[in-house]
Amino acid sequence: MTANSPSEQELLEMHRRMVLTRCLEETLGEMHKAGRTRGPIHRCDGQEAVGVGATAALAAEDFVTTTHRGHAVYLGRGLDPRRVVAEIFGRETGYCAGRGGHMLLGDVETGMLGGNAIVGASIPAATGMALSMQLQGAARVALAVFGDGAAQTGICHESMNIAALWRLPVVFLLEHNAYGLTVHHSAQSSVPELSARAAGYGMPGETIDGNDVVAVFQAVAQAVQRARRGDGPSLIEARTYRLEGFSTSDMGGYQPEDEIAKWRARDPIMLSRARLAEALGAARVAACEAAARAEMDAAFETALADPMPGFTPHAPSAPYSEPPDGGGR
Amino acid sequence: MAMMRYAEALNLALREEMARDDSVFVFGEDVAAYGGVFKVTQGLAEAFGDRVRDTPISEQTLTAMAVTAAMAGSRPVLEIMYADFLPLSLDALINQASVYHYIWNGQVSMPFVLRTQGGGGVGTGAQHAKSLDAMVAHVPGLKVVAPVTPADARALLKAAIRDPHPVIFLEHKLLYNLRGEVPEEDDAPGEIGRARLVREGGDVSIFATSRMVLEAEKAADDLAGDGIAAEVIDLRSLRPLDLGAITASVAKTNHAVVVNEGWRFCGYTAELAATIMDRAFDDLDAPVERVATRDMPIPYAETLEREVIPDAAAIAAAARRALA
Amino acid sequence: MATPITIGAAAGEYMEAVLVTEWRARPGDRVRAGDVVAVVETAKAATEVEAPCDGVLGRIAAGEGGEVAIDTPLGFILAEGEDEGEAETAGEPEYAAASDPAPETRQATPMPAPARQPGGRVVASPVARRLARAAGLDLSHLAGSGPRGRIKRRDVEAALAAAPGVDAALPVVLLHGFAADAAIWSALAAELGRDRALLRPELPGHGKAPPPPGAGFNGLVAPMLEWLDAQQAARLHLVGHSLGGAVALALAGQRPGRIASLTLIAPAGLGPGIDGEALAGICRATHPESLLPWLRRLVADPGLIGDDYARAAMAGRGAALRAAQTALAGRLFPDGTQGFDLRPVLAGVDVPLRLIWGREDAILPWRQALAAPGHAGLHLLPGTGHMPHVEAPQLVARILREVLAAAQSGGGDRA
Repeated sequence: MTANSPSEQELLEMHRRMVLTRCLEETLGEMHKAGRTRGPIHRCDGQEAVGVGATAALAAEDFVTTTHRGHAVYLGRGLDPRRVVAEIFGRETGYCAGRGGHMLLGDVETGMLGGNAIVGASIPAATGMALSMQLQGAARVALAVFGDGAAQTGICHESMNIAALWRLPVVFLLEHNAYGLTVHHSAQSSVPELSARAAGYGMPGETIDGNDVVAVFQAVAQAVQRARRGDGPSLIEARTYRLEGFSTSDMGGYQPEDEIAKWRARDPIMLSRARLAEALGAARVAACEAAARAEMDAAFETALADPMPGFTPHAPSAPYSEPPDGGGR
Repeated sequence: MAMMRYAEALNLALREEMARDDSVFVFGEDVAAYGGVFKVTQGLAEAFGDRVRDTPISEQTLTAMAVTAAMAGSRPVLEIMYADFLPLSLDALINQASVYHYIWNGQVSMPFVLRTQGGGGVGTGAQHAKSLDAMVAHVPGLKVVAPVTPADARALLKAAIRDPHPVIFLEHKLLYNLRGEVPEEDDAPGEIGRARLVREGGDVSIFATSRMVLEAEKAADDLAGDGIAAEVIDLRSLRPLDLGAITASVAKTNHAVVVNEGWRFCGYTAELAATIMDRAFDDLDAPVERVATRDMPIPYAETLEREVIPDAAAIAAAARRALA
Repeated sequence: MATPITIGAAAGEYMEAVLVTEWRARPGDRVRAGDVVAVVETAKAATEVEAPCDGVLGRIAAGEGGEVAIDTPLGFILAEGEDEGEAETAGEPEYAAASDPAPETRQATPMPAPARQPGGRVVASPVARRLARAAGLDLSHLAGSGPRGRIKRRDVEAALAAAPGVDAALPVVLLHGFAADAAIWSALAAELGRDRALLRPELPGHGKAPPPPGAGFNGLVAPMLEWLDAQQAARLHLVGHSLGGAVALALAGQRPGRIASLTLIAPAGLGPGIDGEALAGICRATHPESLLPWLRRLVADPGLIGDDYARAAMAGRGAALRAAQTALAGRLFPDGTQGFDLRPVLAGVDVPLRLIWGREDAILPWRQALAAPGHAGLHLLPGTGHMPHVEAPQLVARILREVLAAAQSGGGDRA
């Protein structure tokens, strides 16, 4: 295989993680309708190839930061579905013991640091980690996943300038899903192709098909190699589409039906399934998908039975508390 | 013991900590080649090379980078040139730095220091003379220190750098040239969270922060002329607050004056006054007197600026009102 | 409708506030328009302030020595027959909202009646209230020297100092009973607050104190007498419970000049009767389970003493302490009878004297209190057993405060 071409095994694993993510999103959708979720849930149906393909291109010691819509990154990075679901349901057994929630999940073990619900904040976050790696002389890379909305923030510009200026080992992956909440990207950006901005920072930029997991993998793998070599950052604009609205509280109505239909026809899991079936046979792919579904079902079952956290003594709370004689009298 | 300027004491602390710990690095606007506009980082770039970096004028991103660089194993010391620019850093401080340790259930800590300087008195105008102490002290998860003496500047900066949590380190533009004894041979870090008893007195307690401690000392001299013994306490650590020092002093004097160069409304003095009411109400013989900057933009003209920012006379007058 | 008295043009152009140096009329005085009613200091010159109309001087809003903003009334003139209360409700709001004080100048905005006006709320600082409460001082009769007549600490201290021969800071000595220790006073101490020095020595053979050097009741009293003699305070208030009450009484008998008041809570020594079974049970117990029933006999409501209380009590009762107390009980209360009689001493007590007894005391019958002399006060607490300071600490604290206050106002001339 060429440096940036995934093996069949890797392809099957990426497919499995995309299916895991889709199962997570669909089950969450059902549970929201049943009134069993808490707070808004930001589903990434239709965008799985970006998070999964990109994280598959990272080495174990690398970092990734992501958005409020980060489930594909969580599962793509190999996080345990049971602990992800537990965190989404605020359980003590979740990755953050229920303190973070679905948007703000973080895991030091895998360098998934982490979901971030301030639009754009994942960009300087990865840039800062890259600065630390550069200063430490470590060949570790930080991947920033962010959306087309985040691309319009000042910190996006500041981060790209600094990263290119200092040749920081960071990869900017713009997960372009066409909408910033309800507003179409054409009403937010002065240029239709955001990768064009890379030239302004003196770094490579390209626009790729974000629904093709192989294309995402290859583009990110190349950018990661460049970063690891010390040649600095890259901007990858992965075009995809948000099929299920901004969040579970989204009333909808602003995405044209034909636009949705067009993207549904290019569902990244469908594309990946077709490609794999050709190479490995439909039966093997179906078996892989069935296993993924079963794994996610089991994750829900166990996570939902897990205990909720309480205000028991909790060391991470200590720096936030006033001295023990606190409070009035 | 060596006599040195406040800025030199800070510089010494940075040198010592950078020499002691490779993970410490310094970045900010004009800090490398020029040595910082207040010369605090002078010579560090020559000594430590790439670990001292001039940056673009991008405070919001620099602060966010300090947070995650700290998360990734570094100990950044970020200089924000004026406290007036802190609003640019606020997302990184309030939504990022202060939350991760908690929301990620203790998986990460963020040992970074944001150094900045505030305060007025020299005609820098409304965008370069503010004290925004209350804005950062408001945030759970941030520590806020404001040393006054060169010895404390060194000891507390060292403590801040070694602290596992974010520390906002507030300097004052009128303190950099202040000279004082620094025990060079003792390079132990200071203790964040402890106030400093500047002078003892039994009649009225004056709790002050940053440069206002110097004004409080002058006020105490003035009051002494009237036979009033004022106790002056330099809070040093705005958060966490040394509650024991505050309640013990109020229990002794029954009168409290609280002084901070920030604005009055929702200001740091409001927190101090409320704290004293919470914890020492029955010891009070008069309402807590607040001395703060008038609630308006800092004017440029000297005659106006002098009126707006508190001074020794205002503090002494407040003490006399408390004792009336 | 009350007419405000204002400074008006009397103030200089740059003045924000003036100092009231003198009032020439008093509330209730009839005044005529143009009469000088007050003198204020403006720009270092005294300026007279005239009544703006005929009427009766009503409330003074800015007393002598007070600083007042130039746009704030010094006081009010009422029409003949107009009610002060009317004036307050009618006149106040429009002025109360008239100015937003600048941060650095406290202004004398119209306030409710000064501290000492009858019926008005007493305005006193928190620490002044605390000290007055501890000393049993009634603030409504006190003049405040602070801004707007606020009573400050110095006013309370001056009032206490002015009381004849009284030292407000006399310490209170609390003497615990048999088989108890100093910790038994914690509930009462919490009620009394921290303004009054409380001394809680432990009886020989109790708590951390060594066993008594001599046999019998006098062996118990002698070390306590030594302790009393070593105290700095000229006089002390003595409070004793049960056996500690007997010791207190004995001390009062031997050092009458040192005792400011004597309060005996279910004291021993006033008759032969005592529940010897309970004493023996407590001395004998080596387990919380065997201690619990005897502890419960001490109180009227057994629910007050739980398993954990018994566990904590037992934890403090080591073998040496138990042995010392068993020996002591054998000498003091042989055969379940009080072996010493202090009734003659009680009869001779001349300091303010109170006895506090629970009506349901199962250890020492309250009727023994009837041995007290005529000047003594007796408090019989209903629904209370042998431990009033534990069972009813609020009430006991209240009685004690009364004793302390009485000793202050009336007992001083005895010293």
